Amino acid sequence: MRRVAPVIIAFLSGFVTVISFCFNPDKTVLGGIEPRVLSWVTIVGGFTLLLGVVSITRVNWQAVHRKKEGWPYKFLTLVAMYVMAVPAMLPSSWSPLFGDAEGSIYDWLFMHIDAPMMGTMFAMLAFYIASAAYRAFRARNPESTLLLAAAVLVMLWRVPMGEAFLRLFGENVPGFINTYLMNGVNAAVQRGIVIGAALGAASMSLRIMLGIERTYMGKG
Amino acid sequence: MFDRRWIYLLVALAVIFPLIVPATFKVHITPEARQLFDAIEALPDSSIVMLTFDYYPSTLAETEPISVAALHHLFRKDCRVLTMTTIPLGGPSIAERVTRALAKEHGKVYGVDYVNLGFKYNYVAVLKGMGTSIEAIYPMDNSSTPLSELPMMESIRNYDDISFIFVVSDNAIVDYWISIVNAEYATPVGIGVTAVSAPKYYAFISSGQVTGLLGGMKGAAEYERLVKAEGMALKGMAMQSLVHLLIIALVIIGNIGFFASRRARRRATA
Repeated sequence: MRRVAPVIIAFLSGFVTVISFCFNPDKTVLGGIEPRVLSWVTIVGGFTLLLGVVSITRVNWQAVHRKKEGWPYKFLTLVAMYVMAVPAMLPSSWSPLFGDAEGSIYDWLFMHIDAPMMGTMFAMLAFYIASAAYRAFRARNPESTLLLAAAVLVMLWRVPMGEAFLRLFGENVPGFINTYLMNGVNAAVQRGIVIGAALGAASMSLRIMLGIERTYMGKG
Repeated sequence: MFDRRWIYLLVALAVIFPLIVPATFKVHITPEARQLFDAIEALPDSSIVMLTFDYYPSTLAETEPISVAALHHLFRKDCRVLTMTTIPLGGPSIAERVTRALAKEHGKVYGVDYVNLGFKYNYVAVLKGMGTSIEAIYPMDNSSTPLSELPMMESIRNYDDISFIFVVSDNAIVDYWISIVNAEYATPVGIGVTAVSAPKYYAFISSGQVTGLLGGMKGAAEYERLVKAEGMALKGMAMQSLVHLLIIALVIIGNIGFFASRRARRRATA
């Protein structure tokens, strides 16, 4: 039963939602099932967030309590999570420091710690990309030469200085890159990737509905 | 070979130099940015437009100028703006901060001219659910005010009442705005995304599923120029230009070194 019940639930959820999609939600009972199931998904999702918080607390607290290697970082994780979350959950009618409006503890932590830290992490990529481009971007064979030429053209085209440089070779060169490289070759390849991924997702959904794919149960 | 620390120093200088010596460049408008601008421009005044803040704080430099330029355009056209996010980390705060600042500048009133729906878990369910009833998914706005108490929401039930959706995103959520909202409900979707994800969406431009595309800071700069509201993106073009040119120069130097060493090796073995 532990193996069969989840497969039956997965099949019914998927099958009913697919069938429901074909009917008018305002005029038929079957059509109304899809929005209802989606509301359930949102509610169940809310509980999974709670489960995540409980899990993070339990795992990290155990490590702190037993003084495992790196426990101060785990302690900081817990402090960061609760200091950010608890004041945001308290009603702002108690104090302007609570809630998530401008001037609250949450907003201050977000604007002055979280956002700058995330921005810093992302900005550091520029340094690594510059270094990696210098070391790895080589015209070793015709394919990599083609890639390199396309990359250089697009990099020039995407900035005003580079675009001005390209216009030295002809006023239509940037337009040529946009039309033939981005809307031509690039769009064709991206379309192939998107269609391939969509077919893959559809076949994976079918595998889950038919019980062939069971890794979501924690088993192969 | 350069030591990588020299490269890091050059990148830092390329970013800092334009801050010390500001320079402005002429930004040419791409057809995709023009298409987005024209689509918004063609909307009747006081149309309802949904603007999404589907991005994390890490990409604020690229995405926030798009949101700011979009709000300038929408508020100038007296559109009523419905904002929301599918990003729990900061999305609601970013939407609240940016929209309130721009609304104040344009003299717009919360609940009448704009509403921030905030965040709800599970974007697929949220996007699909809003097709039937926005109020069923978001019974309250981001400040916990029931939607029934907001005058603007009286005339908005679902996507049928929304004239245009302007998605600003740094992740694959755009795929769902296209495949669920545009494909199923036929609501026009225009997008502003990070430069790294922009190439993917050119395919949707030619298929007509996306009405206009802004790619990264350059796209934001184009839109700032179109709406005549110079902001961070136009200012950032000098830095981005220098860093791009530096990387191209490094690639060329790296390849010269590569071919020189390959020739030397061949001569040594010959």
